[in-house]
Amino acid sequence: MSSSSRGAQASEPSWGKRSDLDVLNRDIPRVDGPVKATGEAIYTHDVRLPGMLWARVLVHPVPRAEIESIDLEVASEMPGVVYVEALKEPGDAVRYLGDDAVLAVVAAETPDQAADALRAIKVKARRLAPVVTPAQALEDGAPVVSRRRDADSNVGRANERGDEAVADAALAGAVAVVERTFEIPIQHHVCLETHGHVVQPAPDDEQVTVYASTQSVGGTPRGLARTLGRDASKIRVLTPHMGGGFGSKFGPGLEGAMAARVADQTGRPVHLMLTRSDEFAIAGNRSGSRQTLKVGARSDGRLVGLKLDADKHGGVSGGSLPGPPYIYTVADDSAVASRIRSVFTATDGSRAMRAPGHPQASFAMEAAVDELAYLLGIDLVEMRIRNLDSEVHHRQLRRVAEEIGWGEHPHRDRPGRAENGRAVGIGFGVSVWGPGGRSSRCDVTIRPDGSVVSATATQDLGTGARTYVAAIVAEELGLAVNMIEARIGDSDLPPSVTSGGSVTTGSSAPAIKDAAHKAREGLEALLVDVLEAPVGSYVWRNGQVSVRGDSTRSLPWIAVCALLREPLLAQGEFRDFLHEGRIHGAQAAKVEVDTLTGRVKVLKMVACQDQGLPLNRLALRSQINGGMVQALSYGMLEQRVFDEQDGFLLSDNLDLYKIAGAQEMPEMVALIDDEDERPSVCGMAEAPVIPGHSAIAGAIHNACGARLTRMPFTADNVLETLYGKI
Amino acid sequence: MREMDPSSGEPSAISRRSFLKGATQVAAAGGIIQATAAGAPAEVVDPEVETLSGTSSLELLVNGKARSVEVQPRTTLLHALRTHMDPPLTGTKEVCGTGSCGACTVLIDGQPAYSCLSLAVTCAGRPVTTVEGFGSADAMSDVQQAFCDKDGMMCGFCTPGFVVATHAALDRSPKASLDELKYELSGNFCRCGTYPHVFDAAAAVQEDRARGEEGR
Ligand code: FES
Ligand code: FES
Repeated sequence: MSSSSRGAQASEPSWGKRSDLDVLNRDIPRVDGPVKATGEAIYTHDVRLPGMLWARVLVHPVPRAEIESIDLEVASEMPGVVYVEALKEPGDAVRYLGDDAVLAVVAAETPDQAADALRAIKVKARRLAPVVTPAQALEDGAPVVSRRRDADSNVGRANERGDEAVADAALAGAVAVVERTFEIPIQHHVCLETHGHVVQPAPDDEQVTVYASTQSVGGTPRGLARTLGRDASKIRVLTPHMGGGFGSKFGPGLEGAMAARVADQTGRPVHLMLTRSDEFAIAGNRSGSRQTLKVGARSDGRLVGLKLDADKHGGVSGGSLPGPPYIYTVADDSAVASRIRSVFTATDGSRAMRAPGHPQASFAMEAAVDELAYLLGIDLVEMRIRNLDSEVHHRQLRRVAEEIGWGEHPHRDRPGRAENGRAVGIGFGVSVWGPGGRSSRCDVTIRPDGSVVSATATQDLGTGARTYVAAIVAEELGLAVNMIEARIGDSDLPPSVTSGGSVTTGSSAPAIKDAAHKAREGLEALLVDVLEAPVGSYVWRNGQVSVRGDSTRSLPWIAVCALLREPLLAQGEFRDFLHEGRIHGAQAAKVEVDTLTGRVKVLKMVACQDQGLPLNRLALRSQINGGMVQALSYGMLEQRVFDEQDGFLLSDNLDLYKIAGAQEMPEMVALIDDEDERPSVCGMAEAPVIPGHSAIAGAIHNACGARLTRMPFTADNVLETLYGKI
Repeated sequence: MREMDPSSGEPSAISRRSFLKGATQVAAAGGIIQATAAGAPAEVVDPEVETLSGTSSLELLVNGKARSVEVQPRTTLLHALRTHMDPPLTGTKEVCGTGSCGACTVLIDGQPAYSCLSLAVTCAGRPVTTVEGFGSADAMSDVQQAFCDKDGMMCGFCTPGFVVATHAALDRSPKASLDELKYELSGNFCRCGTYPHVFDAAAAVQEDRARGEEGR
């Protein structure tokens, strides 16, 4: 194989002028659409291997207990049961409802047999006080549930910033001041494919194959190396398709380790996917918080002082919340003071979830901005523009305001009133994200028969990554997208990044571009003698190459590739100048509130989002919509609920943990901010999920004067806010 | 779904027993089940140790083909498709297993149904259509094509259920308004948030079909 990366490069890769693009910055149907729409796509959930065992884990139903006995005898004698193992001994403690509550693992010939065996395990345990709510954790004498060894309370060390006295002085001099306490519940990721793996064991000198529903094809081999007692290079991870991650699927977790262990012990392939109720109990969540926020402004609306006192509720983890002021700026930075601490409960630790901490911070900050605007009689959009540094936010706010009909809205600087029990309002919110990019590689191979493969060990969480792995190469070589075979989801391919924090596109797209560019120059080097023009003076378009300025000297793609004596391999790597680091968004929501029943109906949502060069406008609009839908769901419906008395997780399936469905969908408008002309690319999944619920809360306030400080925005929440506790 | 009786920490067998009894009656009434050598579910003596079922062989009519499966009375159609058939049909997904999400939607007798709530034995001999029955990647149905064109999918895990539900909705009400469509599709969840593009896909199919009729 000839490798063009060895040769000198004639020029640096570039995304090119937008007007010259034939493939990118257009609507590109995703390349794996047909297999997904027909059920042919194989997810980890769907992998079936000869001789495969079905494994399940037994999760203790309450968070804290002392194990007296785990009797496996009946289970192990049941038909089809091949493996049973207890993970706790008599005297062991269950310390929280999460991976520590997994008591046993079973594997059997069929899923039903595994489920039966699980039910036949007899557990005797002494239940301990549950500590499932922050209030319980903060009670005097509450059992310490923190995982830190030296912890003597359930409160983590506070992170204090700024000088409270300076902030107080600024607030004392402000014309308008608001102070509110916000309560934000814990949200679940609810990936429709639960966490899990299928592990196929192998002799020591061969690779173990692991199918994983993961956001980190590249990191999973390392995560399983110790359990499997072999080097990571002897583990191959495959993720051809995966059913959602949203931040919860970075590592193999206990369920992955168990699948690997059972496969290792039995020598048979093992399928272990969490059940939905396991998933709710042990597969992570977005942390909740309680924030007391006090903000003051001058008469022109400019923010002058801010104080935040916040508790993060991340179960046995710390939770996340960015420091204030969130996105907005205060005239003098020194007038901002905050104290943020974690309150631990005996519940599953929070994990990263799409823009960790940001939607929580947004909810409180946007509320303060709204309320100050009303106190001062300033238009909500104008108030925001006065307190946001970025011109990008300014133009995006104006754009979403126009799209949602702000100009015609009757009350823009004060809340409205219900007429006949019906009130309509509009609200706003903004977002930022710094996705960045890191080291990533891609191989592009062109064969003499004209076939092209673009390969990188990334994963497609539903973002459309697989599609741009092909499309970027198609653009560079002047081919149709379906002429490029995209290979991803395999840890043996050139390494790429873990998909978290929207880094995937900013990392892998530059590497793909670099590889494609090198491949093109490799081909152009062959053309020098044929079409008699130097490297860099060719135009690749519509399956043809021609000399720039002389279309009579041209060759079809197939003829170019026929010049190759062996496949051409071009190895691309991350190029800093091809990626972008910072993105912005603005959203608006319009709601109707029934002030008699408290029911809120979201009528319309609009988002405007920048991201540098849009690779695939269709997939981009899908993601922007997806952000709005998840934010709507978060604001209107979702919350984890525990039985405080005994510690049972009550919201452990989709009948009791509600997520938004078709009937909750408002009209949705996803706008790509085309005034962003940066010649670079970047991921953007996090940003659109940040402000939607804040905009909805703002719209409810704008409609009828009810400032909701608790989520979700249920009817009782609205009524209580409007009329007081009944 | 809890695995054990919380108060005692013991497996609770009572609800299973009554559930299975009901299932057997349904099967017997249909007259389709032949007891295998293992026998029909026997009277349970010791609920703590007995497996409360035998297996039965029956014929499912899936996507126009007769498929033999060995199932227990409790086996759902979803599990029969995904884990009992050889080769299995894994296009139909399991997300909640309790009739809340629609990922497992198939047509039974032409009507949309949650296959996780349908016992396989009650489906014997009745036509079942799964997402695979509507088309293949090289020969997609109009709905499947529209889902691709309009990007009515992201991770795609909910997509088979939505494709089947959309087919059913458009067959039942070809001229459904957007609000009616939302109602028809309200039994299906998508966590990635593809709803707006799913609606676009359905509208595109409606337009296409209407144009096809005019042309006739
Ligand atoms: S799996 Fe059947 S409705 Fe969810
Ligand atoms: S596309 Fe991921 S759940 Fe619908």
